[in-house]
Amino acid sequence: MKREVAAEIVDSLKEAGVDFVATLTEANLHDLVMALGEDKEIHHVPVTREEEGIGICAGAYLGGKRPAMVMMNAGFLLSTNALATVCIHPGIPVLMLIGHSGGIGEENAGHATVGALTEPVLQAMHIVYEKVGRLEDIRSTVRDSQILARSSRRPTAIVLNQQALR
Amino acid sequence: MKRYDCLRAIAPHFGDELVVTNLGAVRHEWQALRPHHGNYHLQNLGLTSSMALGLALALPQRKVVAFDGDGSLLLNLGSLATIANQNPRNLIHVVFDNECYESSRGAPTATAGRADLAAVAAGCGFANVVTSKTLAEFEQGFLRALSSNDLYFILAKIEAGAADVPAAALDSQENKYRFVRYIERSENLEILTSTLSRASEPRGK
Repeated sequence: MKREVAAEIVDSLKEAGVDFVATLTEANLHDLVMALGEDKEIHHVPVTREEEGIGICAGAYLGGKRPAMVMMNAGFLLSTNALATVCIHPGIPVLMLIGHSGGIGEENAGHATVGALTEPVLQAMHIVYEKVGRLEDIRSTVRDSQILARSSRRPTAIVLNQQALR
Repeated sequence: MKRYDCLRAIAPHFGDELVVTNLGAVRHEWQALRPHHGNYHLQNLGLTSSMALGLALALPQRKVVAFDGDGSLLLNLGSLATIANQNPRNLIHVVFDNECYESSRGAPTATAGRADLAAVAAGCGFANVVTSKTLAEFEQGFLRALSSNDLYFILAKIEAGAADVPAAALDSQENKYRFVRYIERSENLEILTSTLSRASEPRGK
């Protein structure tokens, strides 16, 4: 991810009121994770496994924070039970920013299956999501996804495609 | 010692502490002993420690207590590393270790073998780790943690067996609303956003 894209995401999250972010890094998310770690207005929690981050974000929401989770799609697939039991069942929102490996533009053959499964699993879980690649679309999508997460009290997702990640 | 005896010993010392309970009988036992809007009964095996961490970080002025189990923590050992690194001084992580999956008919967990969760917590960076094998040790360790301003990990080595208490009559949504409304009132926060009303707007506008 280019530094200007990472900076735009951090700025957009803050403008949307997000003040707490859990992350699990990956090469394409590195600049975003480092920028979140350096930001003074956002509490950053690097986690060891993505479903742990979903639990932390849910707890932070109950305590009055406005949380988001940054991870790759492999981590989203790992988090499905946590999202179902901790977020969707009781009605707890968390904004997810999901890096989409294995999508269009992917050069690594090993990511193709995870890439193909990501959107069907989001749909199966009835999680509303938007796919974003262009810099100019980031701010409004982060704002609107966060508005829906909070009003619906459900997780929402922004799927960052290769255009945003590379 | 049994888990219920441990909970009964410490329940009178609770005031406005926030509690996250693990899936299983512990939620019913705790709700019977301390019915309170500050109890959150998690319906997930594994994320009790993580949920409690999120709460503790969000509300650093409130004491947060997690009542976790060995089967649950074994699903989420990495959370110990995250908690130790975040080091919330208002969190007490209690693990009732009965060395089995009690709610799933009692097959042994890894702690029935060689695994020692207190050693894992210490290895992950917890500075205050207590292993208790008697009720007196547990009560003393917990009360020390409760009166301190430090992160604690308390392992209670217990016998399997649940107390004969009524089921906690709270479903997850009800529990969430009561808990969140309690936090909003006691912390003067607005967590649940309200839908804007258009009733007062003139027609045709």
